[in-house]
Amino acid sequence: MADLNVNGVNIPLDEDGFLEDSDLWNEEVAKALALTEDVEELTEEHWVLINYLRDYYQKFGVAPMIRKLCKETGFNLKKVYELFPGGPAKGACKVAGLMKPTGCV
Amino acid sequence: MSDQVRIPYVAREKDLKDLHLSQVAPEDQPKTALEILGEMLKYKRSLKLYLDVCTHCGACAEQCHSYLGTKDPYNMPVARVDLVRRVYKQVFAPGPSILKSWDGAKAIDQETIDLWYKYFHQCNQCRRCAVFCPKGIDTAEVTIAMRELLAHIGLPSRFHAGIAKNMAKTGNNMGNPLPAVLDGLEFLEEELKEETGLDIPIPVDKEGAEVLFNPSSSDLYVNTDGFMSVAKIFYKAGVSWTLSSKITETANFGLFFHEPTMREHSRLLVQAGKDLGVKRLVAGECGHGWRTWRMFTETINGPLPFPVIHLFEEVLDYLREGRIQFDKSKNPEKVTYHDPCNYARGGDLIQQPREILSACVQNFIEMTPTAQYSFCCGGGSGILMDEAMEIREALAQPKAECVRSTGAEILCAPCAICKAQLPDVMKHHKVDVTIKGLSDLMGRALIL
Repeated sequence: MADLNVNGVNIPLDEDGFLEDSDLWNEEVAKALALTEDVEELTEEHWVLINYLRDYYQKFGVAPMIRKLCKETGFNLKKVYELFPGGPAKGACKVAGLMKPTGCV
Repeated sequence: MSDQVRIPYVAREKDLKDLHLSQVAPEDQPKTALEILGEMLKYKRSLKLYLDVCTHCGACAEQCHSYLGTKDPYNMPVARVDLVRRVYKQVFAPGPSILKSWDGAKAIDQETIDLWYKYFHQCNQCRRCAVFCPKGIDTAEVTIAMRELLAHIGLPSRFHAGIAKNMAKTGNNMGNPLPAVLDGLEFLEEELKEETGLDIPIPVDKEGAEVLFNPSSSDLYVNTDGFMSVAKIFYKAGVSWTLSSKITETANFGLFFHEPTMREHSRLLVQAGKDLGVKRLVAGECGHGWRTWRMFTETINGPLPFPVIHLFEEVLDYLREGRIQFDKSKNPEKVTYHDPCNYARGGDLIQQPREILSACVQNFIEMTPTAQYSFCCGGGSGILMDEAMEIREALAQPKAECVRSTGAEILCAPCAICKAQLPDVMKHHKVDVTIKGLSDLMGRALIL
């Protein structure tokens, strides 16, 4: 996938459109990533999810289990898919600048 | 390969290093591949046998979901293996060259490598062809060997190499570091308390426990209902159990493409069991992981001081001894069962899950074909890459028709790969069904 250009800064993406370097994430990058996930505008609810994912990722280095994500944000899975059509792993994690969860998922 | 992108994506150099693999320059790949094939033929007698004995009768073609789903002639098992057989005949088989050329022999070139990469990543190693082959040729063995060969010329898939790297670093395929695993388990204990009002423990590194339970790491990320069910069952049966902080992964992706990873994974689990002094290892819902534990562990890491058994065997014991009971009315839906390939054609698990299902669901119906004749979900051998989604959908087509014709509301698929593959591909084929593990259904019906 083509790299992102955010305010003149080149942000490298991998083939799946995830950040190559999570440290390059910022709110403007999130908005640009959201567009690649067919999310036109990041609402307050989107940010609740994104901020939770970022906090967890900074603490533990991975994405939280989906059940925990739902419980602690108060969004059920259906709602998560409404916010990010790509789902919690491939949509929300991408916009939050996390690595792509891998394995049998 | 010129400018085309390979599907699935090839591993990057940084992923290879961790597996002690390295890239081979494209122009050197055919020569290096031949050397590796020559070595493999010396110690993999099954590979040599399968290359020798095929009569090209074609009995396999229409039995392969990969061919049925993609209609690509190279996906007939006979044609897939012929991609190797023709090189084998040219270089290694005895006989005069004129006869060899009549017999389809062909020198290896870069195109051969391209075809190997493509078509040995469209075989799910499901072994259905072997059930129907009059000579007993098991294409899965050939695919395993050829993926190993490709890995050694720097061409494992990125997905597989990344998972093997995660496993080596963290003891699970998702790459979850221990603090994250422990955080998740603590959360699940709270969830169990909230749901049942009981203190149902999820012990970690409990020395002297009776059972070391080894889940799939996806059970701790997405399939948490199934994992919580297992905790409930151990609690109700009064069995002392534990997880190991060293390994929380039954899925052994090394089996698919890299024997050193497969061996090390197996060693890690056995060592964890020995360190904790458990009486038996119990494997969670994972098809190929189970095949690896049941069929290879003793050979690779034996003699073992304990048996390695499957969760379903363990649960059947509890059921038969009356230590747990199910209330079928909790699962009133129409449920059908998908046989994971490595249970039914590689792990001796056909009747056990059915006996459990008949005890915990009200309305169980068999699919056709079933048991050892069942079709693969299309995700087998770790073909779960997003970039391969079109292929995955095609590979799943025969299974989708089988599921559709049952009219089931719930498809019980007790394997982590099947659970990852089936929701997407059933949706694509417009089969309206919910995918669940057997653990999920057991947990719903368990009388606590």
